[in-house]
Amino acid sequence: MTREGRHLLAALVLRDIRSRFIGSASGWIWLILTPLLLLAVYGFVFGVIFQARVPEGLDIPFVAWLAVALWPWLAFSEAVLRGSRSILEHSSLISKVAIRRELLVISSVTSAFLLHMVGYLAVLLALHVLGTPLHFAGLPTVVVTLLTLYVLALGLGMGLAAVQVFVRDLEQALPTLFMFWFFLTPILYAPQMLPDQYARWLNLNPMTWWMEQIRAPLLWRDLLPDWSLLVMAAGALLVLWLGWRLFRRLSPFFEDFL
Amino acid sequence: MTVPLLKLEGVSKVYPPTVQAGQRFRAFLQLLWRGSASGGTGVLEDISFEVPKGESMAVIGGNGAGKSTLLKIVTGVLAPTAGVIESRGTTAALLELGAGFDVEYSGLNNLHMNAAFLGLSPEQVEERLDDILAFADIGDSIHEPVKHYSSGMVVRLGFAVVAAVRPDLLITDEVLAVGDESFQKKCIRWIENYLADGGTLLMVSHNMYQVQKLCRHAIWLDGGQVRASGDVFDVTQSYLAWHERKDAAETDVRQQRESGTLYRVTAMEFPGQESASPVLEIGQSLTVGLRLRSPDGRPPVVLVGLVRADGTPVYGVASDHDGLELVVGDNGDYEVELHFPSLNLLPGGYAVRAHALDPEGLRVHDTTEQEFTVSGRTRELGMVRLEHEWRQS
Repeated sequence: MTREGRHLLAALVLRDIRSRFIGSASGWIWLILTPLLLLAVYGFVFGVIFQARVPEGLDIPFVAWLAVALWPWLAFSEAVLRGSRSILEHSSLISKVAIRRELLVISSVTSAFLLHMVGYLAVLLALHVLGTPLHFAGLPTVVVTLLTLYVLALGLGMGLAAVQVFVRDLEQALPTLFMFWFFLTPILYAPQMLPDQYARWLNLNPMTWWMEQIRAPLLWRDLLPDWSLLVMAAGALLVLWLGWRLFRRLSPFFEDFL
Repeated sequence: MTVPLLKLEGVSKVYPPTVQAGQRFRAFLQLLWRGSASGGTGVLEDISFEVPKGESMAVIGGNGAGKSTLLKIVTGVLAPTAGVIESRGTTAALLELGAGFDVEYSGLNNLHMNAAFLGLSPEQVEERLDDILAFADIGDSIHEPVKHYSSGMVVRLGFAVVAAVRPDLLITDEVLAVGDESFQKKCIRWIENYLADGGTLLMVSHNMYQVQKLCRHAIWLDGGQVRASGDVFDVTQSYLAWHERKDAAETDVRQQRESGTLYRVTAMEFPGQESASPVLEIGQSLTVGLRLRSPDGRPPVVLVGLVRADGTPVYGVASDHDGLELVVGDNGDYEVELHFPSLNLLPGGYAVRAHALDPEGLRVHDTTEQEFTVSGRTRELGMVRLEHEWRQS
């Protein structure tokens, strides 16, 4: 990417982040406060009301089990959804200013992901303070895993943004599809809780792999990633390449269909 | 040979049909497989031109002629359906009032954003910030959100950022018209300096005076095609003449009431000119040859008028004003010539109107009209060149 491109991307990301807080008095406080409040609510609903427990042998409070995976998922899904809407949202810009359109997608995906990462960090620290045993030595592995998740979100966001210009129905369908995906991924539950005939299918969902790879280092001190991380990285890069191809193919015609 | 800064070859644009979801979906599949969509409405057809470095070119034409689409394609906002565009160097465009501005943000924030769109780094913006603010000259409003701005303020800010970038190629689309008098002057001064320093300009404007002042060449688009291109004075004059004739044709239809044609003008021509609607230089001579007919052997009075193509009268004179009595010829027609030794009309479209009046010179019986065009390079204003001299002590 050229130097101008980088400056522009930085400016776009900054504006995207700022636009979330514009007009709110205490602005940045909410960046930390919202995830913590959400954590408290989840802790109360699942821990106190439902008395949810992680299966025997895992030996972890349920809230920790949930929170460690939930925020990466939130980051991923919001990044993809916002990325896929970014072209339509910036249609007035696209039709008047000659900028590289992919920057709009990249900035939307990046800012959504970054914001949730800040929240994730706050949640992890809060869990730690509350006495949940988290292995922060596993953070480097988690960071690499999250990076591949970001690449995946970028690829999906790019491809979906391009398609959405032409097929507007996607805007309605995507949030629902992502909700299905959420429940098909072991975030609220553990794979072990499923009956055997369903559990086999779970590994066909790539998100299961990611969640596994994020939980293992933090919860069980599996500090070094296993081979699956390589597969995930390769898969994410493949998706990025395909999304990029699709985007490049369709982007010259965006203006006609916006 | 110098390489042109911008080169268009056979550029066409067809907007695909996008109204129904089904059409969109079909176009989507076609784009995926073939890289092009079928059907739609053509806006530009086979446009080719070059803009060398240091050139200043105007794109003129009526509403819906495709000017803005052309600029969008040149800027890269829109992809052409066919044809090739090559451009070198940096380009900055002001395509629309407040293009790229987010109205929720302050002017300053938008200034930074727009500068980033145009490829300035944050350090460069910091360096030039004072210049930009001075040029925009909107005072403390810079900290207000843009939604509170007047359209003039938006243009001031937009132009100030572009001015700070100093691109190799500047593209503007009829945006300056919004600024007030003093800001327009400032912009025009800036553009003149920019051109003098070797900058290149491509602009759309409906203000022919501005076009003639700033541009050396012009392209006239009509219905998506190049109708004329070349020297700015030639193109703008024929464009204006075309407009005036169009307006006149509309009003004339209503005035075509026949008034008992007794005394008639049977022929009008311009002897010594090859074309029926000749093109003259300023100050050239013009002879109008007329043939009239009288039903009763009494000589008619002829009134000859010069009008601007839109019908504005310039000058008129009748044979009885000058005490001339028409003399009948062998074939029963009255033939007469009116000679203007030096026709000091300014460039534009004109017409000669000849009216046949009864011998008393009271009632108009017949009218014929013949068009002609005056061309030339001048920035003088109005319709006629008056004798004048400048004096200074």
